[in-house]
Parts: sequence; C-alpha cells; structure tokens
Amino acid sequence: MKRVRVLPALAVLALMLVGAIWQPHDPDAIDLALRFAPPSFGHSLGTDQLGRDVLARLMVGGWRTAVVLGCVAAIGMVGGSVFGIAAAMLGGWRAALILRTAEMFIVVPTLVMALTATALFGLNPVTAGAALGLAGIGPYTLFAHALARRLLGEPFVQAARALGVGGPGLVLRHLVPNMTPVLFAHIGANAGLATTAYAALAFLGLGADPSRPDWGAMLFEYRAFIFDHPLLMVWPGLAIAVVAATLNAAFDAD
Amino acid sequence: MLPARITLRTVASLLAISLVAFAVISAMPSDPVAIAIRAWNLPPDGATVAGLRAQWGLDRPFLERYGAWLSRFVRGDWGISFRTGEPVLQEFQQRLPLTLTIALSGLALAPLFAIPLGFFAALHPRGLVDRATRTLAVFVQAVPSIWLGLILLYVLGVQMRWIRPFTRDWTGLVLPIGLIALHSLAVLTRVYRRDLLEIAREPFFRTALAKGLGRGAALWRHGHAHALYAMVSTFRAEASWAVGSTAALEVLFGLPGIGQFLVESIAARDYPVLQAYVMVVALWLLVLNAGVALCLAWLGPRRA
Repeated sequence: MKRVRVLPALAVLALMLVGAIWQPHDPDAIDLALRFAPPSFGHSLGTDQLGRDVLARLMVGGWRTAVVLGCVAAIGMVGGSVFGIAAAMLGGWRAALILRTAEMFIVVPTLVMALTATALFGLNPVTAGAALGLAGIGPYTLFAHALARRLLGEPFVQAARALGVGGPGLVLRHLVPNMTPVLFAHIGANAGLATTAYAALAFLGLGADPSRPDWGAMLFEYRAFIFDHPLLMVWPGLAIAVVAATLNAAFDAD
Repeated sequence: MLPARITLRTVASLLAISLVAFAVISAMPSDPVAIAIRAWNLPPDGATVAGLRAQWGLDRPFLERYGAWLSRFVRGDWGISFRTGEPVLQEFQQRLPLTLTIALSGLALAPLFAIPLGFFAALHPRGLVDRATRTLAVFVQAVPSIWLGLILLYVLGVQMRWIRPFTRDWTGLVLPIGLIALHSLAVLTRVYRRDLLEIAREPFFRTALAKGLGRGAALWRHGHAHALYAMVSTFRAEASWAVGSTAALEVLFGLPGIGQFLVESIAARDYPVLQAYVMVVALWLLVLNAGVALCLAWLGPRRA
C-alpha cells in the first residue's frame, strides 16, 4: 500500500528537477507583443503580463522548490539526529537541557523564524530552505531522541555495549543506520508542509527580486490580474497543491 | 504548584527567545545607524553617527546592551520604527487587535465544529461525514490558504459579485477568519475522530456496550475526554500555524495588522519592528501554550 504511493511522489520530484536543466522557453524572456496569450501550441500554459512563458516559469519555480525541500530535509535530518542522539547518549541534565531548548523553539512559528532569517539574509531557495530546516530542528530533535532512546534499549545495542563498543562507534554503527529510514520518512511527511511554507514566504516577498519565478511570488504577481486573466493565478496554485498533496500522500499512513 | 511551574517556564522561554532574537538581529551585517540616517534623512556626518551609536548603546558590550534593551522593553519603550518614525509600541497597539481578531476567531471557531464533526465521523466510520472530513483534511493540508483565498475572491468577488475584492469592509474579515478556521477544523476533526476510534478498540469500551450503552452514548461517555485531550494538544501546533497564515492573509486581503506591518518593515530593514514582532508572537503563543498546558492538566492529571 505504502510502496505504491511513493511512485507519484518520485515522479513529481523528477518533474521538479527537470526544471533545472530544461524549459520550453527562456523563463525571463519578455515579449510585449504576446502579453496574456491564451494557452496555445507554442506556449502550453499561455503567457503573463510581460509575455513571459508561464510553463517555463512554473518549471523554474519547481526546481527552486525542490532545492528548498532538499535543504530542509538535509538540515532537519542532520540537526535533528545530532541533537537527538546527543541527548539520548548523554542523558541526565544535558539531555534535559537539549530537550527543553528544542521544545522552546517549537513555540516560535516556522514562518516567523523563516521570515526573520530571510529578512536578514535575503530570500532565495537556499536561505529559505535553511531557515525552514532550522525551524524544524526542534521537533526533529524530540523525534530522534525518542527513537534513539528506544534503540538504546534494544538487545542488539545492549549486546554491542557489553562487547565494549561505545561512544562514536555505537552511534555510527548501530544508531544512525537504524534511525535514518524512520527519520527520513518523518521528514518526508513534512515535505508537503515545507512546500506550502516556502510558497507563503515567496508570496510575502520580503525584499526578494519579484522577477524570480517562485510559485508563491507568481501568485503574488498574478493576483493583480484576478479580474481579467484569472487563469494566470490558477497554474502556480495548482502546482503547489499537487506537489504538497502527492508528498503528503506518499508518507502519510492514515 | 502546577500554575507556578507553568508561569516559570513561560517566563524562562520568553527570556531565552528574546535573547536569541536580540543576538541574531544585532549580528546583522547591515548597520542600523546607517539605515536610520538614510530613513530619517539625517546628515551623515561623524557627530550624528556617534550620537546615535551612543543613544542606542551600540558602543557597549553585548550583554549590557541586551539588559538595557530588556529593561526598556519591559517599561514599554519599544524603540522607534525606522520606516514610519513612530514609536513601535504605538504602531503595534493600533494593529494588534485586528490580527488577534482574525487568528483567535478562526482558532476559536474550529473546535466548535471539530467536536460534532469528529464525533459523527467516529460514530459512522466510512460514512458521509467521515469521508467528507477526510477529504477536507487532505485538501487544506495541500492547498495553501493564500491560493484558496485568491480562488474565493475570484468566485465570490468576480463571478458572483457578492463581495468587492481588496476593499476594507466586513468581507475582508470574514474570508481570512473562515480560511483559518477551515484549516484548523479539518485537522482537529481528524485528531478527535482518530482518538475516539482508538478508545472504541479498548476492552472497557466493549464492556460499556455489553452493559447496554449505545455506540454513540458509549463514545461520548468514555471517549470524549480522551479525544478532547488529544485535540487540545494538537491545538498548539494549529495556533502556531495560524500566526504565519494570518500574516500571509493580511497581505493578501490588504488588512493593516501586525503581519502586514512586519512585511512592510522587513523590506526597510526595520529592526526594532522585527524584534517587537518576534516578542509579541512569542508572548502570544507562550500564553496560549500555558493555557493549553493548564487545560491538559485539568483534563487528564495523570497523563500530564
């Protein structure tokens, strides 16, 4: 059941990566003679208010969203495992300190953290991904800690300990390989959330270059044409919804 | 005992968050004095720069600056906005009620609908209510509220002409509140239903049925407190989600709340506003969390 649903997610991710290497047109090429062209053979999804090809911009936006997702997963994964395992191995007051800190940062909303970070460092897929990933470290730490605690109680880990394996060896040989798949699935379940969060960030813009084709920024740009060309704002929204829905479905057991 | 511990933890969290926010904002690459001189059209000479640096205490060590800022903040001096030139506290007092109205009304509406919907979904698994709320939950978690807002503006404003998009009247409030409530109610309904069904698998639930209680009565009598407990815990995550979404919806609908103020201020690198926003949001969520913690302790003292 679960395996079947992973395929659409992989297909969607592959489509997003295609945007990095190929687009049907130059996404920034302005053609004022062809403003608001309806979908046609040359421009499958039509053109926008500057005559730019909407499909090409959507594809670049997909690649940028994929970069964000990659950064979020990498940072959440590494940060969460490091702090979670550290808390589980150290125990005592040091574990309490790490876990309390992680809990404290759950309180600050992801979007506010990301807004602050992008306000300071500018908005691009890498900073946004880093900010969203850092915001996720709190919950991932708690999750990784619970996971590591359970593994430390397993007979094979106890046996390794009795044989004298300790510290880094125990972590790298026994904890990390067993935690990675579960942690990855947990972070994957949050990938849909990261997609919509990045869209909201790009929508809010924050000193970002508005000509950058992010899905959220396109929604912001095209919302002005809601009266005359409502189709323009449909495409980026649809792209966000499809990506978020497939990613959610791929990892959601319910 | 418990209220004291929760208060202590809330204050400690607030201090820690303020310290981190202060550290990050003061580590900014751009110089606030340079921004202020540009924003207020001051003469960019040495005397002005030195005067501002001394006035804001930028020449003193970090912890001393933090202490000075904290004592000013507690006394209600939140600094002056670089962009508007007005005291930040005054700006927030004007804008906060609108933001709180949107976010809190949306959040308060959600449980009112989530409990009956979740109950009927659990009463008839795979029934109409169950399938409808499941679809709704999948829908709201994939479709960003800003896009849904745009679609509603198009359908209600352009097609049906019931509302006038981008104007400031009551419709400007109804849509954002509805959007916040819709997301929260879908998520909370699923949590409430899931935990009700969890109880329905317990042996004591079957005993209750055997004693002659109907399924609905047994669910309510034995499952409601448990499911409510789970729902209230989830409420924390929803409250945090609502803060971010309120900011985005304020920008979409052109409502002058603190979220929109923040977005306008960030483009101008208005650090006093940024710091104040982080503090206001942290305080708001910490108070809400403390309330949730008290609720949970009251609902299930043994599980807290």
